[in-house]
Amino acid sequence: MNCDQLREHYDLYALGVAEEPERNEIRSHLNRECEICMAGVKNAIETTALIGGATVLAEPSAKLRKRILASVGIEPRTFGWAPAWAAAAALGLALAIYFGNQQRHYAEQASRQAEEASRLRAEMRVQSNEITRLTEAFAILNGADTREATFGKGQPRPPRGKVFLNPSQGVLLMASNLPPAPAGKLYEMWVIPKTGKPVPAGMFQSQTDGSAMHIRRGAVDVDATGAVAVTVENEAGADQPTSQPLIVAPVPAGTSPR
Amino acid sequence: MLLPLIMAIHAVRGDRDLIDRLRRRDPQALAELYDRYGRLTYSVILRVVRDSATAEDLVQETFLRVWNRAQGLDQERGSVGPWLLAVARNRAIDYLRSTAGRERNTLELEDTDHPALYRDMEPEILRSDKTRRVKAAMDKLSPNQREVMELAYFEGLSQTEMAARMGQPLGTVKTWVRTALQSLRDELGVAVSS
Repeated sequence: MNCDQLREHYDLYALGVAEEPERNEIRSHLNRECEICMAGVKNAIETTALIGGATVLAEPSAKLRKRILASVGIEPRTFGWAPAWAAAAALGLALAIYFGNQQRHYAEQASRQAEEASRLRAEMRVQSNEITRLTEAFAILNGADTREATFGKGQPRPPRGKVFLNPSQGVLLMASNLPPAPAGKLYEMWVIPKTGKPVPAGMFQSQTDGSAMHIRRGAVDVDATGAVAVTVENEAGADQPTSQPLIVAPVPAGTSPR
Repeated sequence: MLLPLIMAIHAVRGDRDLIDRLRRRDPQALAELYDRYGRLTYSVILRVVRDSATAEDLVQETFLRVWNRAQGLDQERGSVGPWLLAVARNRAIDYLRSTAGRERNTLELEDTDHPALYRDMEPEILRSDKTRRVKAAMDKLSPNQREVMELAYFEGLSQTEMAARMGQPLGTVKTWVRTALQSLRDELGVAVSS
């Protein structure tokens, strides 16, 4: 695509809502330092920054500033004795020369440790999310009124797995032999009513070993659902399937729980 | 007559000096950065995550990220405030996505907080008249246009996700996004020329 075709997508890119293939195209223009796209995206980024700048202000706690500065090695200083401080300052100056390098070293070490702590906190959050996901999966699996659908059974080609539908908890899909979707693409799950159009039920990616677990949370009318399917779509998702489904799990009729 | 010019020169020098000190890892520069933008950074993150303790954690992560990556900022022409805000927004949306189990690629967000893109902006832009004009323009948008802008900026939803959330056709949502952005641009165009 040329810069002229990308022009109207700069704002969407800066806002993070550009879709494929334009997003990748803009990215590659920026990577090769295309001056036109650099200027256009910078301009759009300015608008995006201003949207943030217009946010109604809230007040963080007073401790936050101290916490951030402490994490790069600045300790809060509160001196009440000015004369004593003046005398100490002379000594401090001499010591500062000696300890300057050490302090810088410690500050950098503290900053690295703080970033590592942040990284660990982020990791913990991811793990916590994973636990939440597993808890939700168990709730669907253990639901007395959960109905089970199977796909891929008896077929020569993968993927294979099961779909569990619970009227109040949602839909859980578990698959194996599902290779990761190619770059720029993701899997999209669809809940297909017996009458009517498929309803998007979220995007997901499979693991490198071909396993996948995806949950669509919230109530679902199991009796009115004919099947659950999965297609490959662009990362941004689609409102209707645009490719042949890789997975189709017909939902068995009947009102009896599992 | 000369006052705005003098103030603009002062602002440019202020930003350059701050970036220079951040690049040299002067801890006091981080204190100054926090004093300038800490409250706004917290406000944007809080608006996204809606929890003050989480917001403060993410503000800390944001400032540390900027502290550790300030080398990438252009000393002569860099715009530290908008860059900081982009890092903050991206961290917050990334958090929101991970908690909501929205498994989308974070690469698209990282694209927009590369320091090389934050150059040649008006100094102190986040405290300029342009910000007030954007706020006024946001207030003038139709409820649907305002909603899509807020869903995009504060929740990081794709246009497809917005359509699903709002129960509207994708084409309609795309039109709202496009016209809302155009309205903001028009308002900024007025601000630039006035």
